[in-house]
Amino acid sequence: MQSGNVVISGMGVISACGKNISETRDTFAAGRRNGSETTLFETMLKYPVFEVKGFSGGDGKFMRTLELAFVTVRQALEDSGLEDKLNDFRIGVCLGTTVASQLNDIDFYNEYKNTGSASLCSVERYLKGNLAEAVSKKIGVSGLACTVVNACSSGTDAIGVGLSWLRADLCDIVICGGADELNRVPLAGFGSLGVVSDSLCKPFDKDRSGLNLGEGAGVIIIEKEGICRKRGKKTELFLRGYGLAADAYHLTTPRPNGSGLETALARAMDEAGITPSQVAFVNAHGTATPDNDLVEGKVLARVFGAGLKFLSTKGYSGHTLGAAGGIEAVFTILGLCGGWIPQSAGFEKPDDTIGISPVTQKTTISGQYAISTSLAFGGNNSAIVIGKE
Amino acid sequence: MQIVGMGVVFNRGRGVQTLEKALEEGWVPPTDSTYSVAEDTLKDKSVLKEMRRADKFSKMACFAAYDAFVDSGLGNEVKSSLGIILATAFGPHVTTFRFLDDILDYGDTNVSPTVFSHSVHNAAASYIALVLGARGPTLTVTQFAHSFHQALIIAQSWLRERRCEYILVGNADQCGVVMEYICRQKLRLAEDGKIKPFLFSQRPCAVPGEGSAFFLVTEGKTEKCYCSVLAQTVGTQDMYLLDSDGMVGDERCYLKMAKGGIPVNSYTPIFGSMLTQSSFSCAAAALMLKNQRHYASPVQDNPFGANICRLTEEKETESVACVRYNCGIERSQITLKR
Repeated sequence: MQSGNVVISGMGVISACGKNISETRDTFAAGRRNGSETTLFETMLKYPVFEVKGFSGGDGKFMRTLELAFVTVRQALEDSGLEDKLNDFRIGVCLGTTVASQLNDIDFYNEYKNTGSASLCSVERYLKGNLAEAVSKKIGVSGLACTVVNACSSGTDAIGVGLSWLRADLCDIVICGGADELNRVPLAGFGSLGVVSDSLCKPFDKDRSGLNLGEGAGVIIIEKEGICRKRGKKTELFLRGYGLAADAYHLTTPRPNGSGLETALARAMDEAGITPSQVAFVNAHGTATPDNDLVEGKVLARVFGAGLKFLSTKGYSGHTLGAAGGIEAVFTILGLCGGWIPQSAGFEKPDDTIGISPVTQKTTISGQYAISTSLAFGGNNSAIVIGKE
Repeated sequence: MQIVGMGVVFNRGRGVQTLEKALEEGWVPPTDSTYSVAEDTLKDKSVLKEMRRADKFSKMACFAAYDAFVDSGLGNEVKSSLGIILATAFGPHVTTFRFLDDILDYGDTNVSPTVFSHSVHNAAASYIALVLGARGPTLTVTQFAHSFHQALIIAQSWLRERRCEYILVGNADQCGVVMEYICRQKLRLAEDGKIKPFLFSQRPCAVPGEGSAFFLVTEGKTEKCYCSVLAQTVGTQDMYLLDSDGMVGDERCYLKMAKGGIPVNSYTPIFGSMLTQSSFSCAAAALMLKNQRHYASPVQDNPFGANICRLTEEKETESVACVRYNCGIERSQITLKR
């Protein structure tokens, strides 16, 4: 059922690293980390976070998550040259999120709890705010729309679903990725789990002490190669493979031997028709929690060997939850196209129990393929292979 | 793709036999203001041993998925290639509100990690993977009224791509007191607890419900095969099952199907109003095709003279289409064939 190649014809990104591709590239080149205390809401929690500074979030008609998504979708459509051609194709929208899927407005609930009734303004906003549906309406396309809510792998899985839609000939083009805002509820939740660091995060470092939350959106446009060539758009980027596998182990802890991630990587590389030695670098999930980095690092060492070039970009963006897979797909493309990856921010001391270390400086890479991984609550493991040919 | 196993959890209980009995019996009024799932329905320790701390949302989904797997008669050998796709409109919002209780009552620093981890949409699918030991791909999607339809589309794609050989695909939605309040504010609720699906009204009555239905699907046929299933948007069949349940407002859009003379039916009064109702319609249709039996429409108020199914009787049927509209009058259709 694999009908032809799938190309990547456009991308857009917004995060603490910058409000577009250019600003993001500059942040990576400078090795800058824009973490700080949160300014978006009142909280007793003083953890550092990675906010998109200077982003107003619109007029309140939509959730901040949606506004972040709208910005990146516009960037991606412009990049792909599709802005004025949306009616010419069957265009699907598949996006991942966590916050936008939850009816978790504290003010609404507090009012209801105290009085037994409450204004439904925030409920109405939520009901208008299914991420994929809202983006479809915003840009005026009527193809398939689906919002993936697979926790922290949502963005990567949304890209994987988009790939499946194209292979099944359900769409010509798919806008896919993820978006999530920084929100008080998950900040409190992750804090309660004891996995948030009170300093800037240190992915894969021996002294890592947890993650920092972030926000943003990352979107890529994937399409059938024939459609892309026919409309005269040039691109050298391909979405080559996707793998997804469950740990079936625990709600919040990864399976210690990492076999789920290993299966996801194997499936993604098998679809791409490549071997581990052909992978130029891996943009790892690397949250900086003790468990995630130990399991993920060991799998990377086992699958790719100690010479693998890899990094976690969460030291620059924070953990953006449902957006992470989309944002990190864009970051991966930047590395593959630019021929370099930034130092893995926050990493200083190797952890012997992991047995492999990320890059410690701006590093030249060569090769045609890169992988982005996502691991999630509930034991979801996802990987995509991006090719440059 | 073929449906080779089914499991349901709803107001009347759990399992395919309970569903058949409910379809035979017809409408009975709910015991309270919603079609809620009784706690006793979710007390099977053989399933609960792996999920003692799970919330009701996860339990409903797990019991339905577990039953679908058992119903299929398949063994442990398929679990390495068993995928899971859960569709939900609102996710575990009752647990989310419990977590907000913690924040409001005790502050951001004193909330429960257990409650938080269960408030995530994909917790239920993860529990299903855990309980069954399923190591294939696991996905949760939400698209309000078309959530289950989207899940089926992805299931079809995964099977064709050979991403896995078997998939448990289903829905779960819960109705807590806050959701009931929201429904009461936004919708017209039937005071007698009776959904009337054939009124095709601009302001139909709803009665909120909750539950879960799961299907084990695969490309090939097995010994226990109900029927084939296909997610699409259009197509004429021998019978339409209408998801008219008052949940999305104006239901005049369903009238054009009733006017064509093709038999129409609706079992929404048995399950209650839910945006992911389509999966329950799908379960009823699968039984209809497997048993070659029509089950009478549970509520038969029929001012437009639609060709509704008035009697429960043996009757040959080749295909049934389950149809759902969302509030934007966009249609999804799930077609089941003998």
